[in-house]
Amino acid sequence: MPYGWVGHVLRVNLTEGSAKKEPLNFDWARQYIGGRGLGTRYLYEEIDPRCDPLGPENKVIFATGPLTGTFAPTGGRYMVLCKGPLTDAIACSNSGGYWGPELKFAGYDMVILEGRSPKPVYIWVYNDQVEIRDAAHVWGKTTEETEDILRAETDPQARISGIGPAGENLNRVACVINDKSRAAGRSGVGAAVGSKNVKAIVVRGTGAVQVADALKFSELVFESLKEINESPVTAGALRGLGTASTVGFTNSVGILPTNNFQQCTFEHANAIGGPTIAQTVLRRNKGCYSCPIGCARVTEIRDQTSKWQGRGEGPEYESIFGLGSDCGVGDLNAVLYANYLCNLYAVDTISAGGTVAAAMELAERGYIPKEDLAELDFELKFGNADAVMKCLELMTYRKGKLGNLMAEGGYRLAEHYGHPELFMGSKKQDFAAYDPRGAKGMGLGYATSNRGACHLRGYSMTLEWFAPMEMRLDPFTTDGKAQAQMQLQDKCAAEDSSGVCTFTTFVVTPDKLAPMYNAATGENLSVEEWMNAGDRIWNLERLFNNRAGLSRKDDTLPPRMTREPLTGGAVQGQVVELAPMLEEYYRIRGWDEDGNPKADTLARLGLA
Amino acid sequence: MILAHPQKCVACHLCEGACSFKHEGAFQPAKTRIFVHDFVDEAVYVPVACFHCKDAPCLSNCPTYAITRDPLTGQVTVNDDKCIGCKMCMVACPFSVMGFQTERNVAQNCDLCGGDPQCVKVCVYDALEYVDLEPTDWMVRLDMAERPAAAAG
Repeated sequence: MPYGWVGHVLRVNLTEGSAKKEPLNFDWARQYIGGRGLGTRYLYEEIDPRCDPLGPENKVIFATGPLTGTFAPTGGRYMVLCKGPLTDAIACSNSGGYWGPELKFAGYDMVILEGRSPKPVYIWVYNDQVEIRDAAHVWGKTTEETEDILRAETDPQARISGIGPAGENLNRVACVINDKSRAAGRSGVGAAVGSKNVKAIVVRGTGAVQVADALKFSELVFESLKEINESPVTAGALRGLGTASTVGFTNSVGILPTNNFQQCTFEHANAIGGPTIAQTVLRRNKGCYSCPIGCARVTEIRDQTSKWQGRGEGPEYESIFGLGSDCGVGDLNAVLYANYLCNLYAVDTISAGGTVAAAMELAERGYIPKEDLAELDFELKFGNADAVMKCLELMTYRKGKLGNLMAEGGYRLAEHYGHPELFMGSKKQDFAAYDPRGAKGMGLGYATSNRGACHLRGYSMTLEWFAPMEMRLDPFTTDGKAQAQMQLQDKCAAEDSSGVCTFTTFVVTPDKLAPMYNAATGENLSVEEWMNAGDRIWNLERLFNNRAGLSRKDDTLPPRMTREPLTGGAVQGQVVELAPMLEEYYRIRGWDEDGNPKADTLARLGLA
Repeated sequence: MILAHPQKCVACHLCEGACSFKHEGAFQPAKTRIFVHDFVDEAVYVPVACFHCKDAPCLSNCPTYAITRDPLTGQVTVNDDKCIGCKMCMVACPFSVMGFQTERNVAQNCDLCGGDPQCVKVCVYDALEYVDLEPTDWMVRLDMAERPAAAAG
């Protein structure tokens, strides 16, 4: 039995209704670490990057990393890969919870979904037994209902990853939800799963994940646990207040995007921030599998007088921005309720929020004709929480013209009404919650991210704002940003692929993570080779995108970021000077002027 | 015994991984000797391991006297060479924490890792504590049983 990886791939052909267990390609596993890298390699081999992301020729891969299922800190991650319905580029969305480890205990490193089922099905995996079962009775149901029903008819300890009504309706901002509230959120991966007529993958596994060097592995893990438990970031801010701890900070320095990025501070930031959540709605902390951080917030709306009632998980910082400040909503209960709705429908809180925000600005500027707004019942303007909830419902169920347009995502919506410049994102995917005018490295990161605008592909906030003063890069200059962004992107690609969470890597650096990977798998990568593997993954993703027809023209930011400075706040007068950063970035990446990796770059990375 | 503080548990299951790693040499929660019950909707997470009960039903129900108690420490142990795999102890255990090794056909309970319990070591949330058994341990158990209920309420 192999170490780290469990050595098998479950390939489900939905057109034929067949499932087979095949050996993992270990040559690729070594070169691409696992998860994100390995899944991309499979996709690159098996699908035409120009295919319709919602067609049967696209494939969806659920991939784990070699550390998934071990007790490596946050070793509970899995990724959903496909050609992204939102972005028409490579998609890889990462989620925690308990589903990924369960898949490995069942004996699979990855599940590959191919073709299209003639009718709604779910896949039930119990170790070596795999059944493709009828899902007519759960089709249309929310994620919570689906999970309860499927668990009742399979195994009380089964773990479930699947889609909600949004994915079924091919909503391009639909996500995959596992364990009721953990989301593989971005790029519309839920729509790709929905296009295959797959409702969920239900897994129960009783097998084992082995590691090559138990002593060494154990030693490294215990050291890392100690570091994490002593860090003010992981054990302090994240465990104490969750990701919502960031709201106060970004608002105070003026990079909290508000009203579709028209402002960078939000007057109600305190009302929707971490401390308020802890004091008013928090039930308790939760951790994903093998997580020593425990940033998840289990919450409920306690104010009986509020019109919004419910309980669930969240909100994360990004959801607070997407459903809160970006839509001008300053009522915490409304933000929570919108978050719960997104989880039930299974839509990405960032992109759903971004789409609603774009619609609000379009409506306020009078670009949406009155008749299109008829089915909304509420005035579509910033700050109107009722309109947010209604928009989420309309886009999930594709109701009416506006619902149908919003289900296509913010870019296509804004383009339809003739104002694509009001969509705040890159590669048709919405920005995350850091205004790049106040963190230029993030601007370059948004523009060059392979899966469309994303804060986690190269999280330069760590260097531009969160780092200790002496290590900090000036957020307002472009100096050194290309180099920093490239290194962060490579680092993150390797870390994602290994199966741990980005939050672990704030404390556990590659000089500890690479040896941990070695001890688990029996490989012998130096830190340099580890980063090199990240570089290889990044370039392979880029190759996929180039073949899909993307190039320099898609590495852009909307004119609001590059031409319209903000007034007020620390970012006063700032715009993102993208062109010089991009030029330097291409040069040090070893890409040509159009953003294609050069022959010697590919040769160096073994991609030629 | 392993004293759990359910109100501090976040359901990360690190203890299960550490337990199986120590005893099986691999990560296999199906063979863990400590169990985290997560009641997701109620937001209650309860780690449970063998309580080494003062009046242990597993011990008194074992037909082959394979389960014994250390007279000094009070620890309850399954002796593999005497166990015939009849599972009477599993039925008798009021907490359902008696596990079973299918391959070796023997019952298994928490052996406290010989005094260095890995689950306690790995729990960064301090939800698990290693304590000596005392005559007052009934009060401790009662408290443990009541706290999750209070947390849920």
